[in-house]
This record gives sequence, C-alpha cells and structure tokens, in this order.
Amino acid sequence: MTVLIVLVALAVGAYLVAVLESWAVHGRLEPARPAISALALLGRESLLARTPDRLFFEAGPVVLLVAGLLAVAVIPLAPGLIVTDLATGALFLNAALAYVLVALIMAGWGPNGAYAMIGGWRFLGQFVAYAMLIVMPITAVAMRAESLSTVDIVTSQSALWNIAYQPLGFVLFVTAAMGLCWLPPLDLPTAPGDLAGGIEAEYTGARLAVLRLARMVLIMALAGATVTFYLGGWLGPWLPAWAWSAIKILFVAGLMVSVGRLVPRVREAQYLEISWKLGIPLALANIFLVGVITLVVPI
Amino acid sequence: MRGARHGTMNALQRIAAAAMSRDLCGFVVPGAEIARTVGIDLGDAGLRLSATPRHANVLVVIGRLPAGLLDAACVVYAQMPRPRAILTLGTNDISPLPVPDATGPLTQAGLEAAIADIRRIFAMAAFQPDVENFEAPTLETSTEYTCPMHPEVVQEAPGNCPKCGMTLVERETAGSVHRGHAVPEQKREVAAQKHSKPVAVCHDRSKGGHSADGDNHEQHKTHGSGHKQHHMRAKPDNTEAPLQYTCPMHPEVVSDEAGSCPKCGMHLVPVAEAGGHSGHDHKAHGKAHDEHSTDNHRGGHGGHGGSERVEGVEAHFMSMVDLTRDMPASADGLKMEWIDVPFGPFFPGLPGGLQLKLTLDGDAVATTSADSLVGSSDPLRANPSSPIEFVDHLAALSPLSPIAYRLLACLALEQAAGQSVAPDIARARLAVVERERVASHLGWLAVFGAQSGSSWIEKRAAAFQLKVQGAAATDVTTLKPKLSTFLAKLQRTPLLAARLSGIGQLPANDTLSGPVARASGMASDTRSDDPVYAEIGFSVLTMTDGDALARLVQRCNEITQSLDLISAVGSVARLEPHSIGAASGTGEAVVETPRGAARLSLTLHKGKVIAADIKTPTTAHLTLIGDVAEGQELGDALTGIGSLDISPWEVTS
Repeated sequence: MTVLIVLVALAVGAYLVAVLESWAVHGRLEPARPAISALALLGRESLLARTPDRLFFEAGPVVLLVAGLLAVAVIPLAPGLIVTDLATGALFLNAALAYVLVALIMAGWGPNGAYAMIGGWRFLGQFVAYAMLIVMPITAVAMRAESLSTVDIVTSQSALWNIAYQPLGFVLFVTAAMGLCWLPPLDLPTAPGDLAGGIEAEYTGARLAVLRLARMVLIMALAGATVTFYLGGWLGPWLPAWAWSAIKILFVAGLMVSVGRLVPRVREAQYLEISWKLGIPLALANIFLVGVITLVVPI
Repeated sequence: MRGARHGTMNALQRIAAAAMSRDLCGFVVPGAEIARTVGIDLGDAGLRLSATPRHANVLVVIGRLPAGLLDAACVVYAQMPRPRAILTLGTNDISPLPVPDATGPLTQAGLEAAIADIRRIFAMAAFQPDVENFEAPTLETSTEYTCPMHPEVVQEAPGNCPKCGMTLVERETAGSVHRGHAVPEQKREVAAQKHSKPVAVCHDRSKGGHSADGDNHEQHKTHGSGHKQHHMRAKPDNTEAPLQYTCPMHPEVVSDEAGSCPKCGMHLVPVAEAGGHSGHDHKAHGKAHDEHSTDNHRGGHGGHGGSERVEGVEAHFMSMVDLTRDMPASADGLKMEWIDVPFGPFFPGLPGGLQLKLTLDGDAVATTSADSLVGSSDPLRANPSSPIEFVDHLAALSPLSPIAYRLLACLALEQAAGQSVAPDIARARLAVVERERVASHLGWLAVFGAQSGSSWIEKRAAAFQLKVQGAAATDVTTLKPKLSTFLAKLQRTPLLAARLSGIGQLPANDTLSGPVARASGMASDTRSDDPVYAEIGFSVLTMTDGDALARLVQRCNEITQSLDLISAVGSVARLEPHSIGAASGTGEAVVETPRGAARLSLTLHKGKVIAADIKTPTTAHLTLIGDVAEGQELGDALTGIGSLDISPWEVTS
C-alpha cells in the first residue's frame, strides 16, 4: 500500500515538475503539455541506430529508471510513508545513484554515435567528480543525526533544519544533485548546442519516453533527498506532514529545472576543476565544522 | 501524408495522432536564424524546435535551399522518425525531398496557416496502412567487401583475401552522389563511428592515403599484427622450424600445425614470428568515416598525418594503455583515440550551411576543416545582368545581412555611373545599415544563447531582433531603453564571463575584420572613412582582449552605438537602386557589414553589369576556425567558432 501511495505521489510530482520544466523552457504554462508530449512520443517510431550495441542501447533508459526508483524508495514523505526505512538509507541512496552513471554510459555507448558517446564520457568525468560531493555532505548530515536512516535524519532536524545548520553542505549537495540529473547549466551530457542532444540524440519514440520519464524520476528523487537531508523533510507547522513534503519537494525540483535556463552552460573543464579543487576541500571543511558543532552545541 | 507511420487509425492511434498534432516539433533548415531575418518567429507560431532530427516530426524548410543543402536535408528527413511531415515556406521545389505536406509564403501568417494544415494532416493521417519509403540518391548505399589488413583488396562479393586468406568483412559505402554532407546523426556515419570497426580501418588507409610504410610503422606491441604477414613474406628463408602457430588477429588461437584460423580464416603464423616483429607493427589506423576521408582531402584538410590514429581495435584484443602507447599526448596530457565527427550543416548552435569536420582527440579538437555549403562563388549570376537584378542578387547572396550588400551594390553602381546621392538619402541609408547591424548582432546573440544553453538569452535576443528589423526610426528610439537594459543585464549574467573569457583568443592581424578585429584592439572600421558617419559623430569602438567575451561585449557596444546613430539620423529609408541609364564605367565600393568590410568592384557597360568581384569578411574568417578551435575542448571550440559570427552564405571562393 505504501509503495502504491509513493508511486502515485511520484507520478503526480513528476508530472507537475514536467509542467514547470516546459514552462521554464518554452515560456508557456500548459498543464496538459507533458501528457500530450508523452502520447505523441509513444505514437512515433522508436528507431534503432544503424549498428547499435543493442544490449546497452535498450538497457540504458531502463537502468536509469530503476536507479531513480530505487533512490525514491528511501525518501520519507511523512512518518511511516516510506517504501523502506533502511538503517543504511542514506548510503543506499548513494548506491542507487551510482547506477545513474552506468545507465548514462550505456545510453552513450549503445547507439554507436559520436555525439552520444562524447555525452556519455562527459557524464563519466562529471559523475566521478561529483559523486564525492553527494556522499560527503551526506556524511555530515548523518553525523548530526547519528544515523544513516533517512527517517532519523529528518527527525534530527526538528530544532533546526540542516540548511541553516550546514549551509555549505546544502550548496554542495544541490550543485552535485543538479549535475547528477544533468540539468542546465550542468547539462553537459546532452548539451544541445555542442552535442545536439548527446546521450538523448539517438533515442526516439517509446525509448525516448522512457529516458525522459527516468530523468524526471531522478530529479524527483534528488529533490526528495535534498528536502530530506536539508529542509527538514515532512516537518512543518499547521499543514499535514505529507503536504509539507510535497510543497518542499516541488519547490526544490521546480527551482532545479528552471534556474539553469537563465545562465550559459558551464564549461566542462571548469566544472570539473571546481569540484576537485574547491568542492572537495569545502566538503571536508563542512564535515569538520559539523563535527565540531555537533560536539560543542547539542541541537 | 507521405511520412505517415505504418498502421491503421484505431482508437489508440487516433489519440496518439491527436497528441502529435498538438506537439509539433520542428527541425529547421537552413536554420532558425534565417527564419528570423525574414521576420518569422517559429516559437510564436506554436512550433517547438529540436536540436536533432531524431526528436522532430516536422521538417521546416525556409526559402529555397541550395543544392548542397537539399542533399543534407534529405539525410535529416530520413533520420526523422515517422510520422513526419514537411513544411516549406517560400518555396515549393524541394526535390529530391518528397512533396511538402504544407506550404506557404515566407511570412508569419503563411507559417501559421501552414502549421494549421500540418496539425490537421497529423490528426487525420498520421497512421496509414500503406506507406512508401523515402528514397533519394543521397541516401543510396552499396555493400562491398574488403580485407581488414589489406585495404587495397575490395570486391563486391564476400570471400577470402587473396593476400592473407582472411575472411573479407562487409562495409557500407555511400551512393555516388553522396560525399559526406555531414549532418548530425547521419545514419551511415554513425555506422562507422565506434572504435571497434575494422571496417573503418581498411577504408581509411585506402582512401585516406595513409602509407603502409615509413613513418606509420612504429612500435606498437600487439596491435595490427596483420602486418607481420609482410615481414614473414619478406623472409622466406627463415628455416628455423617454429613449434607453434597462432592467428595474428586472435592470439588465443594456438595450434601445433600451420593452417587457417578457425575464427577468421586467416593463415596462422609461427609464434616466434608473431613475437619477433612487434617492433614494426602498423599503428596508423585513420579515420572512422568512410566517405569523409575523401572529402577531407578534397577540402584541403591539412595536417592529417594520420600516424596518430588508432582505430578498429577489438576490445578484448588489447588494453587502452597498449593502444595509445607512443601516441602524442593531448594538451591535457592524456592519450586518446581520434575520431572524426561532422558538425553541420544543420547543427544547433552553428549557423546553417556551415559544415565543420572536427577530428576529436578524446573530447579535445585536434584538427578542423570548415566548408560552406551555401556560399556563392560568383556574385554575377547572370552575365551581364541589369543593375536591378544585380542588386537583388547580391542581397540574396547574404540572407543574414542583405541590406548591407544591397547598399554595397548600389554604391558601386552609382560610382560606376558617376552619380552622387543627396546627403539626406545618404544619411537614411546609413540608418538602414545600422538598423541591420543591430538586428544582425542580436541574431548572433540568439544563436549564442542557443549554443550555450541559455534559453533566456536566446528568447530575448530573438524577440528584440524581430522587433528591430523593419522598425521605423522612432520605434527604434523607443525600443532603445529596453534594449539597453537587456544588454546590460546580459553582460552581468552569472557564469557568462567564465564561459567566454580566454576562449578563441585571436591576436590582431590582417585576416580579422569587423567586430572580430575591433574586439582584438584593431581600429579597423571602414565607417571611419565615411564623411556621412563623421558628420553624425561616429568613432570606432574597440576592445583589447580579443577573446570570445570581448567579441560579445564588442557586439553589445556596437548595438548601442548603432542605436545612437539611428536616433541621430532620425529616419530610415528603403534602399532603392537609382536608375543608372546606359552608363558605362567601373565602380568600387566598400561597406562595413555587420561582419566586417565587404568590397565590391564592378564594371558597367551600357547599363549592364558585365564583371564584378566581391571580397567578403567571412571568407577570411573561415580560415580562423582552426586557430580558435584546435587544441580546445569540444564545447570551448564550438563557442570559439560561434563567436566569429560566420555567415556561410557570404563565403566566396
């Protein structure tokens, strides 16, 4: 039953975020747009590239969808409303996200085309740099909660949300999360201006629909993770817990999909440089600071 | 509907068809920038634009396409998934493409009517029980067989190589017409793009002209052991009886007796041989694209030594470390395989008609070759032509800045005929050229926004461009505050400076012209010699850095300056060529177009233009592509190329 509720919530949330994204991209608020686009995609031919690596080509979008769904499984939407409250939930989330890389490399390699392949390799570089910026801020969050359970992490923020407690970690995590779902300005794997769609370029019809759905699920999972780790999850006055989760997740996801439309894409070399030279030292500093605060001020 | 998908219209398909009719996704040829210059706003008409033909269902053809672009458009159309439709504006003749599903005049209203037709057609006929295949000479391919180790062996039927006995492998070649009109995701190019393609290897060596001797032989431990065959043959007096035999291609095959490889049919070689000649293995395995090899050479693609390429290597065969040993390291210190990737002629973020071929070393650009598929070689189409025809033709030569070329033609004609123009007309002409400069620079900004993924910049710049072109002087003046605010905000955009500074740095030199030269600190502007400009207080603006950021800022400043000039003049005139009667003489004129100084000299004989010679700034700028792109990461290279504001239409040979 919980699984069903979470899946319905995910579907509704993903739909709303898709409406927001289409608004941000095309400048028109059309509530029916995602449904129309999905139906139209399903009606089109799903072409196979000329000499694909068939297994990778077919598996890429599906693996991405599975990775996104697994990540959603440990996001609590309300007390008791979580697919599985693992004792190692935060770690599990990280493990699930590791398959995003596998999926994108598959999707990049599979079609046997240069643009897709470069997109896939770009994501490899990007992911290796930013996986650390997912896991290191989570470390600091888990230190405060003294638990890796996502439910415990939410309840640990009852006095003060982590966005105020460890703002540095929040910034690093959101940056890494946006890179992980290749949202502009970090959309290097698809980069319409350099790679004409990159990893998405050879997918059409139903396969493209799966790929886009999977990405939307991933965005929801990462927005959910941001809310869980930094914005106090379901916590909030007056409204029921699930409503707070919904509002916060939609807000974060909406921000993630729209903010990048205003700025040019980040250069690949700079993006990697920022992660290795700046992000990781800052993440270490964040862990240290949070450790000191946890020891000195018990909130 | 010729591009219908096979099927019958049952309930489900009706729903899908209805959805498709409301979700039109267009791929524009030659490009959205051309549509904007004729005042057409594609987004406003309800068309979403796609970066790749794979995601599009409407091919939008703007105006008449030159022959080279028609072939490329055929490939694009073939890549679009069904159901697909063709919409043409301002032209009906797009053969060899199928007959358009909807067509209209080259206006916004024409586009809207045509889109309504397309929607209706999708809803009615997206699925049809009998669909015809799209065939065009460009898309024809044939199959031939070749030996992976002996590229000179090519035959029509499968079999074994007469030299080494290895089983010949199949490869696809393009039809006779097609010579690699590079477009995104071109099917047959995709077929040759991945690494493990022995097919590509042989072809490259045969057509790419890589010699099998000399420099190409370098130490390379395991790869290309087929050449051991040569060494073995060269030493027939090798009397030492080897104990074991192995296959040069499949080292896991080891046999006590001589014979053929069970996997590929190649003659087995003695183990001692296989080890003994590793110092002379062939390492150069050129490029991945079949037809591009020839094309590159035709296009004067220099610097293709080829000895660095490694292609066609089976993954299990060797490690990446072995593969790249002794190869030159890239700028980032890594050794990578090289692949050739076509960009254009319809690449998003590059002007339509520009065909780039980049050889990528990993994701860094090693070599470039650029070509225009739309450039005209002759400013005189019909010889001799009447002045009116000549002016129109020269304007049509450059759809991205027709007015500047129209003025150029008028000035040269007037000089040849010995006429002079009234000062107020000269000033109004100045205003119309400056207005075009504003529109052209805004158009460039929109392309830059599309390339760099900032839809905000793209949309705003495009909207301003549509408003400015064709506006009266008073409208331009009222638009000025808003436009200035936009330009100021644009230059403060976060990440903009980080993306552009240091990219495509060009030192001042004579090749540069227009905003590109002025951004490099050269006060090169033919307007400064013009008394009409001097009269209203024109001074040349320059920047010093000479990189992509300086070029962007330079163009923004020039927009502001041009707006001021238009305000100072106060009226904008249509450019009409004067009647020059039956005059004879020679004339020469120069106009500072939005891309730099264009020069025209012509000879008039009894009122007819009998000879003309034109020099455009873009022709020289095309040679800068190598300077700004080589050694750069792919995204940076494309940003650098984009910052040159190349108009492929103006390239003259």
